[in-house]
Amino acid sequence: MLVLDDVRVVYPDFEVRYDLTVPTDALCALIGPSGGGKTTLLHTVAGFAPVASGTIRFDGRDLTALAPAERPLSILFQDHNLFPNLTAAQNVGLGIDPRLRLDGAARRRVEDALARVELAGLGQRRPAELSGGQRQRVAIARALVRDKKLMLLDEPFTGLDPGLRADMIALVDALRRERGLTVLMAIHSPEDAASVADLVAFIADGRVDAVGPPSEILAPGRSPKLDRYFRRSG
Amino acid sequence: MSRLPGCLALALLIGVVALGFIGLLSAGGSGAAIDWGYVWSLVRISLIQAGLSTAVSLVLGAALALALARRSRFRGRMLLIAGFNAATVLPAIVTVFAIVALFGRSGWIGEAARAVGLDYGSWVYGLDGVLLAHILLNAPLAARVFLAGLGAVSAEEWRLAAQLGMPPGSVFRFIDWPVLRREAAGVAALMFLACFSSFAIVLALGGGPRVSTLEVAIYEAVRFEADFSRAAVLALVQVGACAAILLPALILFGRRMSEAPPGGVAAMRPDIGSQRLRLLDGAILVLMGFLVLVPMATIAVGGVASLASLADGAVLVAMLTSLAIGVPAGALSVALALGLATLARDLRLRLLRPGLADLTGAAATLILVVSPIALSAGLFVMIRQWVNPFAVGIPLVILVNGLMALPFTYRQVEPPLLLAAERFGRLGDSLGLRGFGRLRLVEWPLLRAPLLVALAMATALSLGDLGVASFFGRGELVTLPVLLHERLGSYRVAEAGSVALLLTLLVAGLFLLAQRVSGGSIARPR
Repeated sequence: MLVLDDVRVVYPDFEVRYDLTVPTDALCALIGPSGGGKTTLLHTVAGFAPVASGTIRFDGRDLTALAPAERPLSILFQDHNLFPNLTAAQNVGLGIDPRLRLDGAARRRVEDALARVELAGLGQRRPAELSGGQRQRVAIARALVRDKKLMLLDEPFTGLDPGLRADMIALVDALRRERGLTVLMAIHSPEDAASVADLVAFIADGRVDAVGPPSEILAPGRSPKLDRYFRRSG
Repeated sequence: MSRLPGCLALALLIGVVALGFIGLLSAGGSGAAIDWGYVWSLVRISLIQAGLSTAVSLVLGAALALALARRSRFRGRMLLIAGFNAATVLPAIVTVFAIVALFGRSGWIGEAARAVGLDYGSWVYGLDGVLLAHILLNAPLAARVFLAGLGAVSAEEWRLAAQLGMPPGSVFRFIDWPVLRREAAGVAALMFLACFSSFAIVLALGGGPRVSTLEVAIYEAVRFEADFSRAAVLALVQVGACAAILLPALILFGRRMSEAPPGGVAAMRPDIGSQRLRLLDGAILVLMGFLVLVPMATIAVGGVASLASLADGAVLVAMLTSLAIGVPAGALSVALALGLATLARDLRLRLLRPGLADLTGAAATLILVVSPIALSAGLFVMIRQWVNPFAVGIPLVILVNGLMALPFTYRQVEPPLLLAAERFGRLGDSLGLRGFGRLRLVEWPLLRAPLLVALAMATALSLGDLGVASFFGRGELVTLPVLLHERLGSYRVAEAGSVALLLTLLVAGLFLLAQRVSGGSIARPR
């Protein structure tokens, strides 16, 4: 279970406050207006945001004070998930050893992970030689070899075509069921999440405004902010 | 907009350069009377000197950039960076003054060494002094380019490195090193070119035949021996060598160097906690601070100490002479850039000849190949047939200085002009905006700041010029750099201080103005 218990993050120009509980193995979609705090929530869990008070726990372990590398999670950003001068295989390999000293077994693991995301044989390509969707698959492959139980995705599929986007979300859904991952996924278009998400959290003005199953959140009348976001009258 | 100004600018540019070349080729003749062994030895020492200057500047610049990138907040960081930036815009002859006043026999350190009974030679005259001066100018420049490159690394890459738990070695290998390698090529080519064609520093510190450059040799051939055929051959070799350095660099690394100022991203670097790196960075910052900032402090202190020497009138006259050359040279350069840029834009957008447009732009850049002294020598030889070149010295200095600043003014002016057309061209056409009204409403708001920046930079470059002014001035056209060089040459270091300070203030003021106007940071054009 992932718990954000009254977590307050203070930046010089703005402040956010989160309360959120996501059961183990669940996929929670984060929706909400741009600038509302979705990315900051993910950065807070990943350890990139200055937490002023509150606690972040995952499966009973307190993450609040841990360095980013010590947290049991992987994160995918919208862009720049790969180091541009390293090959796809090297980028995945960094997930096993950040010094990139890989033995035969490690290299096989990299190949297996690339194959799992349908990139078998493309390991020697550099990011510039891959399509946008392929680049994000490499990042997912790295998350696989890191083998962490919590996965954070910050709108990583927003730039892709609708069909491709659906494929990628289906891939994430399949992997989390395979491996028992807890997933927190910020998305741009809420309808993408309806079929796969167990939970939808609506983030606005730096708060978790509403949480619930997709059917509840995507239906009118749950909260005024939510209704405004969907341009519907409550 | 009419194509006439652009065609005139292009005709002037091509005409002057062609005139110079005709002069050189006619005076150089077959080159039969030339001691080629001497020419090759000059080329060899120039290559060695430029290679060493560039290599050391690159290494120190990279170390400095990494130290500043990793230490993103400490007391005095902004001041330190401002000092390093200022060092890159110092006129070369002022750097010479700082080195002589600090490290020279009767400089601060020389005096101190003698006071405690140490034997302190005059090592600043020769290869060591030339290298030191070149490093002072170039290492902070390299650091600036590297720092901008590191600042352009996306925040995600740093977060990713933190999340993957990269140790400092891996951060360097996978993130820093690729940036440094990518940026190094372009800045190295520019620095090599600058050191290979170095004039003021080598003239003042070269110590006669020990270190020289072709530029200095051309000047000496004309000035002291009136040997025009030798000057012409040397100038042709100089142009050939510059082309050989610059053209491959432009083709290979034509991409612009990073200019984005680093934001607050550096705090994300996962390697800032390393104790060993902290010590290393501290050592680098102290070393570079001493190497670069102490000479600059020498200018301030030396200048203030000799303020009384301003009273003799010579300095005031020199300043007025400098301004009378620098301001018109700057205006000429901006006018030429504006003409060429409108012509290039017209070729690109209206006549749909992007190839010709690129060629016009290249003409503005390729003037870098024709070094100032080589061009001066060619013009001198040509004009001599009609009038006494010294009699028209001031217009010639203005002309050459204006042309030399063209690559930088063009780079300022061209992008906003193109932007104005791309962004508002169709809108302006559909509204029937033409002529002056269009200029005022569409172009001027986008151009105002870049024009001012270009004018300030070109004027500052001309104010710092020693070579062309002494070439055509025959010692009678006394600008501030010429006066400073004279006083240094006659070992009146104390009296030179006030001139150095005045020149520094003028040039730094112009760069500060440019920086303020552009709202960003300006690298020294060279």
